[in-house]
Amino acid sequence: MQLEILNLARFYDQQRGLAPTSFTVSKGEMIAIVGHNGAGKSTLLKVLANWINPDAGIAMFDGIDLKNRAALVGKVGFIPEVPNLFDVFSVEYNLRLFAALTHTPFLRVEEILDDFNLLAFRKNRIQTLSKGLQQRVNIGRALLSDPSLLLLDEPTSGLDFEMTKEIHRLLKTMHEAGKTILFTSHRPEEIKSLATRIMVLHQSRLIFDGPGEAYFRSEIHENLYA
Amino acid sequence: MRNILILTFNDLAIAFRNKTFLLILFVPLFVFVSLNLLDESGAEASKVRIVLVQHYAYAPAIIQSIMAAKQHIEVTCVQNEQDGVRLLKERQIDGILTPHDEATGSLALLVLKKDSIAAITIMQNFSALQKAAEGNAPDWISSIKSLHRGDVQRETLPTWVLMLVLLIGFIILPMQVAEEKEKKLLLALLQTPIHELQWLIAKVILGMVLIFIAVLFLHLLGSFGPLHLFDYSIFILAGSFCFSACGIFLGFLCRNQASARTLGVIFYLPHLLPAAMSDVSLKLTAVAPFLPSYQLYKPLQSILLEDGQLASMSFDWLYLIGLGLLMFYLSYLLMKRRWLM
Repeated sequence: MQLEILNLARFYDQQRGLAPTSFTVSKGEMIAIVGHNGAGKSTLLKVLANWINPDAGIAMFDGIDLKNRAALVGKVGFIPEVPNLFDVFSVEYNLRLFAALTHTPFLRVEEILDDFNLLAFRKNRIQTLSKGLQQRVNIGRALLSDPSLLLLDEPTSGLDFEMTKEIHRLLKTMHEAGKTILFTSHRPEEIKSLATRIMVLHQSRLIFDGPGEAYFRSEIHENLYA
Repeated sequence: MRNILILTFNDLAIAFRNKTFLLILFVPLFVFVSLNLLDESGAEASKVRIVLVQHYAYAPAIIQSIMAAKQHIEVTCVQNEQDGVRLLKERQIDGILTPHDEATGSLALLVLKKDSIAAITIMQNFSALQKAAEGNAPDWISSIKSLHRGDVQRETLPTWVLMLVLLIGFIILPMQVAEEKEKKLLLALLQTPIHELQWLIAKVILGMVLIFIAVLFLHLLGSFGPLHLFDYSIFILAGSFCFSACGIFLGFLCRNQASARTLGVIFYLPHLLPAAMSDVSLKLTAVAPFLPSYQLYKPLQSILLEDGQLASMSFDWLYLIGLGLLMFYLSYLLMKRRWLM
């Protein structure tokens, strides 16, 4: 198993957070984490990204404790819902900055610009780009160090149809390249077309973990989106 | 070290892009222009403008002496006292002389403010005039020497330097830190191999560089050379470290830029006022030493105006560095806890 989670928990208050949760993830899986707002989806991703510390439990990635940030740098990429880029600078500057900080050759920046169809926008400031383009840059930035686990928090939230399709294409490409992907989503069609496995969080608890067909046949899906 | 440099240059580039540099250059420029508009010391500044009321009966000897001192006293005659008061309110004159009701042969002086420079200058001029006319014995105090060196412009320099340090420390830095938290930039940066300490050091360096640039620009504009460059630099270094660390800490206490700005002003004003105005109020003098800014202001004043030296101010710079280290450590703890992120 690539990712092993045992009784992982994070408590904000009685209503919010993540109740003790256990699951495992194999390499190359594409998992959709589904649930209402406040169900604990983003909290789970933030804990896995080592952004917030869990209050209990263990999370191991390739046998390394996720708390060991130094050992996992470059292996886990987290992409939040809102692009977190230096918006007063250009696309190229942002990618080069993070390449320098991750000790990645600048040649990789050119590859990312090419792979993500960003060559035409390389000199544009982030603040002048649409949200879809910003999200593309954001995903490209996370992929600079070629992480094997990608965590995406509602990657297509607020995007139009075309941009959503583009992000889906990128996610499928990354999946085909063997990356393990966990993403949160509220869009059933997105979950259906991308996920190989679905996890449902409800009131901070994991209430479903299984293949997509089983989920879409279950009452849980109907209850969630009724 | 490489990561710290990359982060510092990135922070400086952000400061350049979001016009922070303009602010730190504008403030010294504003100070420079303001200082040049201050009254010049010397003969021109000591010339006073007074009013005599036509229908009042002044002692002839006094009128004669006043009229003879045209170089120092500019006299205007008005019909009645109300006209004189109007001129005084319009700042066209410095004072009105009327015969004293109770002491025959004496004058009463009406000024806008008793303890103003204008009132003191009028008193000095008339004292000299009286001595010349009556040939009295010399005053008991025949001259006043000041420990403070330099002119009025230089006198205000420590206050302006303190203002710059506090502006960058309490307003600019907290907002930049809060912005990185608010936009989740810190999250992105901490996914790279950089350590929390490296990020903090880069931010402190940013604050110190901005303060040095602002203070240097102020000195270059005003051609103010410190009396003891080394001692002065040490205090600017200690003060910029201390208040940069304080600013970063404040930034960590806030979730977004708006709250950082509010909190910054709440800290900025109390630190600026008592320290800079302690000389004019006994109550403020008692309160001021409890503020960290006073431990920077007093040494600056001493070095710039009183020929003070570092050796006699060990407590002050140790205090500044100690407080800076404490704030740095607290910021580190908040960062580790991902406070309000």
